[in-house]
Amino acid sequence: MRRASTWLVSMLIAVSTLGVPGQAAASYDAHVWSNSDAFKIACLGVNDTYPLQHYNLAVAQLGKLGFGPVAGALGPGFTRTAFLANVLSDWAVYVHSHGDNYWAASGAPNVDSGILQDPGAGKCNSSKDMIRSSSIKATTQGSFYNIVIMSTCMLGSNSSTMPAAFQIAKTKQSTDYEFYLGYVFHTWDSSSLRFEQAFWSYVNGGTPHSRTLAGAFAYAASVGGYTAVSASEPFQANWWGNPYYDGTPLRPAARSPR
Amino acid sequence: MKLPNSGNNFRWAFGAATVAVCLIASAGQIAAAPRSSGAIQGGLGPPTRVEIALDANTDSALLAREGKTRDAFGFPVGVSRVGRHVIDGFQATEYDEVTELDAAGNVEALTQFNSKGRLRTAVRLDATAIAAAGPKVTQDGAVRSAQRSAVAAGLGVGAPTATEADQAAGGWTVHWARQQDGVRVRGDETRIHVLPDGRIQSVAIAEHDLAPVPARRIAFATARQVARANLDSWFNGRNSAYSIQKVELEWVGPNGAFDPARIATAEPPYRLAWVTDVKPSGDAAGYVWLMSLFVDAADGSIIGGDFVE
Repeated sequence: MRRASTWLVSMLIAVSTLGVPGQAAASYDAHVWSNSDAFKIACLGVNDTYPLQHYNLAVAQLGKLGFGPVAGALGPGFTRTAFLANVLSDWAVYVHSHGDNYWAASGAPNVDSGILQDPGAGKCNSSKDMIRSSSIKATTQGSFYNIVIMSTCMLGSNSSTMPAAFQIAKTKQSTDYEFYLGYVFHTWDSSSLRFEQAFWSYVNGGTPHSRTLAGAFAYAASVGGYTAVSASEPFQANWWGNPYYDGTPLRPAARSPR
Repeated sequence: MKLPNSGNNFRWAFGAATVAVCLIASAGQIAAAPRSSGAIQGGLGPPTRVEIALDANTDSALLAREGKTRDAFGFPVGVSRVGRHVIDGFQATEYDEVTELDAAGNVEALTQFNSKGRLRTAVRLDATAIAAAGPKVTQDGAVRSAQRSAVAAGLGVGAPTATEADQAAGGWTVHWARQQDGVRVRGDETRIHVLPDGRIQSVAIAEHDLAPVPARRIAFATARQVARANLDSWFNGRNSAYSIQKVELEWVGPNGAFDPARIATAEPPYRLAWVTDVKPSGDAAGYVWLMSLFVDAADGSIIGGDFVE
């Protein structure tokens, strides 16, 4: 019995060791960015903990899906420079910050959606902190993304230009391995956190990669209990991408320029 | 171009056939882990979900309730059912869950009941429901469909408090907000989503435990004064100001919005509070759309809040 166990352990170690180089070469970078300094004492007189809660959840759950290394920053490390320097190598991107659909430089009715970088320790945001979807699109250079989550206001609305910055079309019938999640209107942080907790619970709670992200979205929407900002701005999340994609990091060889 | 599920089928086939492939994958994850610079911060560990299988023989009542709910809402009948008790650390709650599975093991529908045996949520997840398109059913038709199904499931609903078009899935979402003795319970509701073709996609009953009504309640003016005192100190000396939009009595969940030490791992009973919505102006208006303070109606302490960033 003991000899059998020893043999089995040796085989497992050997097989595991053989597997490392191939897997390590196929890394699927992800970045999680959360603006926290704009919501701290220096700017609001109080520390808003929701940026921390959203950040921690996303870091753990993208890693659980198999993306890695999962890098990024909560707070001052979330700069426009850092975001744009890393986004090209990413397969998954998560942002929690202020976001909105702004008029493009060419003027209305053209939209150029944007998010705010962290202003830096002890500083508050200004319009100079904006990271526009046009800048992101210019940086991503047509490359492919598995998962993009904009945990902000407004960037899941039909007028958002953020999905296109990651080459994700606004369709729910994509055949590529891609999924974009955002919120349609202004959104209470407690509601986006509740939604994302339910979303990750469904997709990562059981057997890995046995359920689809679209299914997780439907489940999270179904649990309800979300507080509306106003009668004209109910809580609504939205998604685009592949209804069958299960969140496995995957390289679509036909699409990836890398 | 690859078929959407081709990768899954491949992975499942080999995963079942050989342990070695699983080990290779695991080894890669272990090797990759130290390279990650994204780290959990603030001492909050990642949530977990524990599933305990239920025995169909001993939990026949649960399956019967699930069957009644499924049929009332017209959800698909799977070729098999799986029941489990779930300790859900993500959502800080526990529930019994029954899933209807197709022949391939895919989830066709899912129904959850809370610890009191009351329906928590039910949702159909078959392919025909996930990517339905284009609004066809009218708002009135959707409300009637939702009401009819709710009654069939034994849920008491009257005229809805709100109905809105759903941008994500199409169709309509019908809400019945919960009130206790005329006071709104923040977020609590019965909610039914009607697909564009009139079928029901999901139903939810969000219902939190409530703490006892406080023996003494601070007045509206006192609550406003408490909120203003906090806000004055918060905004003092900054390039921002604020205006109070409303102060309303609500049942709310105490939370750690302003204090990480108060972030709970279990949902506490809701407390009666004066909810004060605040609109920032000046610099802060550029990054905070709205904020809310929960002023405890019993003692005037701040027990939580919320932000629209």
